[in-house]
Amino acid sequence: MSDETDSPLVVEELTKDYGSVVANDAVSFTVNRGEVFGFLGPNGAGKSTTIRMLLGLLKPTSGSAKVLGADVRDEAALTEAKRRIGYLPAHLGFEEEVTGETMLDYHGAMKGEGRRDELLEVFTPPVERPIREYSTGNKRMLGLVQAFMHDPDLVIMDEPTAGLDPLKQEAFNEFVRDERDRGTTVFFSSHVLSEVRRVCDRVGILRAGSLVELENVDALLHRSGKHVRVHANGAAVAEITALDGVIRPERFAEGVQFIYAGDVNALLRELATHEIQDVELGEPPIEDVFTHYYGSREDAAEGDRSGEATDPTDSAGGTDV
Amino acid sequence: MFETVRYEGKRRLRGAAVLTAGVGAYAGFIIWYFTVLEGVDYEDVFSNLPPAMLEAFGIESLSTIEGFLGAQVFNFVWLLGLGLYFAYVGGGVVARDVETERMDLLLSLPVTRSRLLVEKFAALLVPIVAVNALGGPIIYLFVVAVGETIPPDHLFLTHLLSVPFLLVCAGIGLVFSVAVDRAAIAERGAVGTVFVLYLVESVVGGAEGYDWIQYLSPTQYYEPTPTLIDGSFEPIDSAILLLAFGGLLMISQALFERRDV
Repeated sequence: MSDETDSPLVVEELTKDYGSVVANDAVSFTVNRGEVFGFLGPNGAGKSTTIRMLLGLLKPTSGSAKVLGADVRDEAALTEAKRRIGYLPAHLGFEEEVTGETMLDYHGAMKGEGRRDELLEVFTPPVERPIREYSTGNKRMLGLVQAFMHDPDLVIMDEPTAGLDPLKQEAFNEFVRDERDRGTTVFFSSHVLSEVRRVCDRVGILRAGSLVELENVDALLHRSGKHVRVHANGAAVAEITALDGVIRPERFAEGVQFIYAGDVNALLRELATHEIQDVELGEPPIEDVFTHYYGSREDAAEGDRSGEATDPTDSAGGTDV
Repeated sequence: MFETVRYEGKRRLRGAAVLTAGVGAYAGFIIWYFTVLEGVDYEDVFSNLPPAMLEAFGIESLSTIEGFLGAQVFNFVWLLGLGLYFAYVGGGVVARDVETERMDLLLSLPVTRSRLLVEKFAALLVPIVAVNALGGPIIYLFVVAVGETIPPDHLFLTHLLSVPFLLVCAGIGLVFSVAVDRAAIAERGAVGTVFVLYLVESVVGGAEGYDWIQYLSPTQYYEPTPTLIDGSFEPIDSAILLLAFGGLLMISQALFERRDV
């Protein structure tokens, strides 16, 4: 607005205290112009709370935030800024009876729709049909069109890829990169680290209500290992879990699951020597990544997982990296 | 400007049409029934009823079409039925969108909360105006069709004066709508409140010492039967209703501004 060099998002000590639970505890971060910022956290970490405070939907208990230069507590300024903000909520509460077209007409009349047709070529919800007939993916696509159609300077998205099939997800990643190259600032939340890794310039993790910025996501992912789930008999399980790098094995009826921080090839060689019914290799849950990387912080309460976590950094100091 | 009232107003058209058709059909039935009853000395029948009951149903002069319409259509449909209906609809205006999280999307648009609230509420004028502007002529035509007459200016006034009353009922709904998160609770709360006020007004009307309570009810300030019969009405009543409506709207605004959605 007045000062175009300002960062589009400046969040300082933003706190939301519901009395019984502190959803956001002094969250601070800055998103720079023209970058894609990934806002990570396990489900329930308070990501949506932060996002909804940024849009003036929730009133902060304390702290402040500026969105495109507008204080989130100043309704008039924030309303004006919303002309240049796109928003995709986690849950798309569209009115079910209207067609996608009617919804877009209404939102377009309110904030502009210069890029609507262009976007409907990338994302292809059936706009002529009532929204109640939409699949989750179609709703998401309609939401994306709605969020970008007025060519905003800042786009805030809450779990944007939830419900998109892998092909559309790839199209989405491509799209976000292109948007960034056009100068749009993108801020989005996710609980899947590998997903944001592909598109984000920077990533922050919200954990227990406060944000930690991660500078090197690839290194983090690499160090945090893989989540492995093996279906095999008892003897095989015993030998597999004896491997170096197996962390926190958990047995279940048909096999075992664990975090594997060693060499993947060694694991595959070991697996090849056994009769395996099924195996899944994937990214560990974000909370595990975090615990693994930073060790247990104030974690006596979450104690069951902290004991075995190897601890590559100094355990207590992990509030900024 | 006014995108919301246009959008929401259009969305209310079908409901308004169904409502108007339903009310019209009921009025038609009542007017036909009046011709069937002709010759029956039904004022005698009702003279045995307790005065509170006569008062509650606004039974005055049932032998004329005006009195009959006043009791059977206006006191019953407009005062009670539509009053409750618009309280109910008002209850859903904000709470339903909050419940479905549609409000998140709406408030991400460049519109202030107060403007959004006013425009969403203004869309309720579609059914309020439709049921009166179309319901009036429908009733008039039915009356003429059965060979009776009714002064058109009295009928017009009766409809016009119902608007502030219906606004107050919808306004009570709106306050509930911004105060709670769930549409069903807001709707029930609003309907319950208007109904209890109506009952209280009917019951305490004759009770000395407690008759002030009746002034709390919006139904106290809209009396269709005398207006229909001789065109009489108290301008102060309408003024009180409009003032109350303004107050309810302001309370809703203040609550909506402060709340988290």
